[in-house]
Amino acid sequence: MKLPISWLKEYIDLDVGVEDVCNALTNIGFEVENIIEYGNDISGVYVGKIVDISEHPDADKLKICFVNVGSENLTIVTGADNVNIGDLVPVAKDGAVLPNGKVITTSLFRGVMSYGMLCSGSELNISEAFVDGASVDGILILDEELRIGENIVSALKLKDTVLDISITANRPDCHSIVGLAREIATALNAKFIEPPIRFRLYDSDLKMPSVEVKTTECPVYSRSLISEIRIGKSPKWMQRRLFMSDINPINNVVDITNYVLLEIGQPLHAFDYKMIKGGIVVRSASKGETIMALNGEDYTLSQDMTLICDKEKPLAIAGVMGGKFSGITDKTKTVFLESARFNRGNVRNTSLKLGLRSDSSRKFERGVDYYSVEFGRKRALYLFELLSVGKVVCDCPVNMPENKVIETSTDKINGLLGITVPKKNIVAILNTLGMEVEVDGKKLSVKIPSYREDIDNFTDLAEEVIRFYGYDKMKETFLPTSSVTVGGLSDKQKKIEEIKDLLCSFGAYEIMTYSFTDENVFDKLALPATDKRRSAIKIRNPISEDLSVMKTELVSGMLSVISTNLTRKNDNFRLFELAKVYEAEFPMTELPDEKDVLCVGLVGNKEDFYEIKNIFTGVMDHFKSNYEIVRSGEPYLHPGMSADLRLDGKTIASFGKLHPSVSKNFGIKKSDVYVGYLRCENIVDEKQKVVKYKPLPKFPPVERDLALVVNEDVTVGNLIGAIRSADALIGDVELFDIYRGEQIEKGYKSIALKIKLVPTERTLIDAEIAVIIEKVLYKVKCEFDAKVRE
Amino acid sequence: MKEKISQIVERTMAKIEKLDSAKELNDLKVEVLGKSGELTLILRSLKSVSADERPVVGKIVNDARVELETAFTDKLARLEQIELNERLMKEKIDISIDRKRPIGKVHPLNDIKRKAIDFFVCMGFIVTDSPEIETTYYNFDMLNIPPDHPAREPQDTFFVTDNIILRTQTSAGQIRTMEKIKPPIKMISPGRVFRSDEADATHTPCFHQMEGLVVDKGITMCDLKGTLSSFAKHFFAEDTRIRFRPSHFPFTEPSVEVDVSCVHCGGKGCNVCKGTGWIEILGAGMVNRKVLLGCDIDPDIYTGFAFGVGLDRITAIIHGINDARVPFEGDIRFLKQF
Repeated sequence: MKLPISWLKEYIDLDVGVEDVCNALTNIGFEVENIIEYGNDISGVYVGKIVDISEHPDADKLKICFVNVGSENLTIVTGADNVNIGDLVPVAKDGAVLPNGKVITTSLFRGVMSYGMLCSGSELNISEAFVDGASVDGILILDEELRIGENIVSALKLKDTVLDISITANRPDCHSIVGLAREIATALNAKFIEPPIRFRLYDSDLKMPSVEVKTTECPVYSRSLISEIRIGKSPKWMQRRLFMSDINPINNVVDITNYVLLEIGQPLHAFDYKMIKGGIVVRSASKGETIMALNGEDYTLSQDMTLICDKEKPLAIAGVMGGKFSGITDKTKTVFLESARFNRGNVRNTSLKLGLRSDSSRKFERGVDYYSVEFGRKRALYLFELLSVGKVVCDCPVNMPENKVIETSTDKINGLLGITVPKKNIVAILNTLGMEVEVDGKKLSVKIPSYREDIDNFTDLAEEVIRFYGYDKMKETFLPTSSVTVGGLSDKQKKIEEIKDLLCSFGAYEIMTYSFTDENVFDKLALPATDKRRSAIKIRNPISEDLSVMKTELVSGMLSVISTNLTRKNDNFRLFELAKVYEAEFPMTELPDEKDVLCVGLVGNKEDFYEIKNIFTGVMDHFKSNYEIVRSGEPYLHPGMSADLRLDGKTIASFGKLHPSVSKNFGIKKSDVYVGYLRCENIVDEKQKVVKYKPLPKFPPVERDLALVVNEDVTVGNLIGAIRSADALIGDVELFDIYRGEQIEKGYKSIALKIKLVPTERTLIDAEIAVIIEKVLYKVKCEFDAKVRE
Repeated sequence: MKEKISQIVERTMAKIEKLDSAKELNDLKVEVLGKSGELTLILRSLKSVSADERPVVGKIVNDARVELETAFTDKLARLEQIELNERLMKEKIDISIDRKRPIGKVHPLNDIKRKAIDFFVCMGFIVTDSPEIETTYYNFDMLNIPPDHPAREPQDTFFVTDNIILRTQTSAGQIRTMEKIKPPIKMISPGRVFRSDEADATHTPCFHQMEGLVVDKGITMCDLKGTLSSFAKHFFAEDTRIRFRPSHFPFTEPSVEVDVSCVHCGGKGCNVCKGTGWIEILGAGMVNRKVLLGCDIDPDIYTGFAFGVGLDRITAIIHGINDARVPFEGDIRFLKQF
């Protein structure tokens, strides 16, 4: 909302400075986003009168003007040909600064000294709204009434300050000069002056068209007739204000409607009375109905849109734009003025669907109240009379709904705020805001003006009170009345954080990526057509295709981050992400499952399969989960260097070396990339197991080394598993070497293991140890045909 | 004899002092105290001493022996110490070499989030989770944002179906909490939210908020100010001040924007606070009566306050991150800085 300070001052009984206004606005909840200064970019330019003109002796196109600038006469050379003796013109004297930054100095023009410059409208950056002729190509010829020698800025009333203010959604009434003036007056303890609205009603034979409202989208429709219209330009003061509020002046009738829109916040529409056949009907559009709007475009309407029609045809799209053929023209004799309220949802919907917005529709979308319908129309009629645009011959006011009354008390208001605002302050603040307050002891009965539809109950009044009383007067208390509560993270939340800390201890850094991705990542990951991860939730209105589906896996995001890092020449790093994946049933009638998934990525020549395996098994071991490791079939992993981790037969993790062709899909040129994921739900939802202490062994353990020759197919894991189950006294079994080569038959390998025997009852003697080792050898012989290496 | 003994002691002590190898020291020890050492021989010759003098002389010999042995042991220990020191010095290595095994780090935003959670958990707040894909019912309707409200427009909100969206605010978590738990309620709910904004230096389509809610008897707006003031002091610096500016949120009444005194200049005005001395960090207010009613909580008995902090924003303020996109890129050089 643009607020010219000069306009504001008209309605506040106080001479306020710009800074005071800005501070007041901030304190009461309106943010000043920008301060626009008019006229302060011109200096040293004065009103001058051309007293004589002579030809330049050496240049056909130049003229020598003798200009009276009050205190002196100056010789000025100009190239313009629109100046005549007697004209008043803007004269930039030596040292003058123009809006484009140009400094005017005395200088020679083909041998003639020029002591300044005559300016055009564009050189002064003045709009036609400020001065007639400002857009003329040539020197700006000024009104002959102006005082010679006066500074051009004051002579043309160019100086003003405009505040650009952001208005919160609950205050549509403040999208108006009077709305803001009322607030600022209250904040500055000044009197708010209501704009005058009295006008004379003339007799006439003209018949006011009837109005029939056939839709609930128009709760109130008021109208007037103004006859003997004389279309012309509106006065400069009005044009200036429209211009500073980003509205182009058009003609006096249209300008008045726009002026009232800005000043009172009421969109008005002026129809040419002659074009209304029979009477006004406000109704829903029929399907496919068309109208040509003021902008010359044809619009096809639908049934949820509201139309203003006469008995024959649509005249306007309600609240959005008038029709081409019912608007004001130079020939208009009588104006039918509409001041109505259309529901904001309806106007927004229409405007959105048609892709057609106007100053009117924007205001209706924010909200229009009963007060402005009535007050705005009257204000317009006052202006018609003031500017002698026409005679008001008919005015149909509407019945205003009863004002809302809120019964409350100072205790209730102060109870919510936590401080005691004195009753007299409460009453004074509410009064200045236009609320009538009846006081009965502590009880307050507050009548709410109809322009404050946002006020609903005492909490709204409490806000009004503290807004103006000052939030800086509020104390800081620390919940003295509240009960003691036990706070904390849930077990699940704690475990999620624990997993993150674990990953850090593995040297991985946490990344964060968007929750949405490109649908093509599933192809890049080579997921088969039937893979469940392909059924991702689609966003209806994504920003772009690459952010259009919700993630069902995190690996692709990790690979993109790895790719980015490698492109930037970052190498040797470990990353992890713990985020949600979204799994839905389609068609979606319920909210999807949001599952916590851990994703890990390792890059660098020190990494291998066993490193990434260690991370995943490390997490499982940390939570004392039993699991099983099997070969993985994940399509994006190297088939020989990848594994699935299973819990109760269900795969909850897959990890391994990145498949070279998938690598290529993600633009990764490096081969040492390892990725994997773990679905955390199985760990974090599990109830924490209480560990029962096992007494530490009292007797010294015994270690024996064994080298077993087995077929290549035999896995170390299976071999160790078998050994551990061979006897109850066998504790840890540790791999320390795998050997292939000389002395070992091709297709076989030698696995060297350290076996720890942990006696429970007494120290083992050699014979007992020998028996246990025999059992081990027998078992591995039977299961794997393993032989002791000679 | 007495003299002879003291001569031996004196001479040997002098030799011990001079020797600087364990071997020589040992040789000397054998020479004096060995089986046929000087002092041993004297001891043996005691037989020739009269029975009266024997105890006296014997004591002298023995004392001399003890004295010498102690001296030998001490000297030997000193020599060993020196030799050990020399050996250790020979093992000296270049300590400027690194063999780093990196310890990772959680994302700076999560670090900030943990710090915020810590404060409120200590104050007795529970931490709740709430869906990221949410219904318009929880995200809008129950928060007093009616269907024709501008906040619901598709240019701000990602839609999945007509009534399922990506949540635009963690405030939806307030409703879910109040449906499950009745007052006294003290909760925070940190999480990810979504707005249909193109990514630029100050916006990303995903970001993070932390919602806070207190509902109990007699909760006032001064409690909101006190709580947030303590939080700001804990979070930024002991001398941080806060300021309320009126604002509007449909789900709180009164509503305020909360500024903290600039963490960089302390309120004097700098480019971080754009010269104002204040930085806006959150929105807050007293829970709207309609919201309480909707959750079956009697607003005439209970009052409450709610607030929502932008976690990405305060992370950026604290660490001076001037581009909102960078934290989402996962560049290891960024992550390692924290």
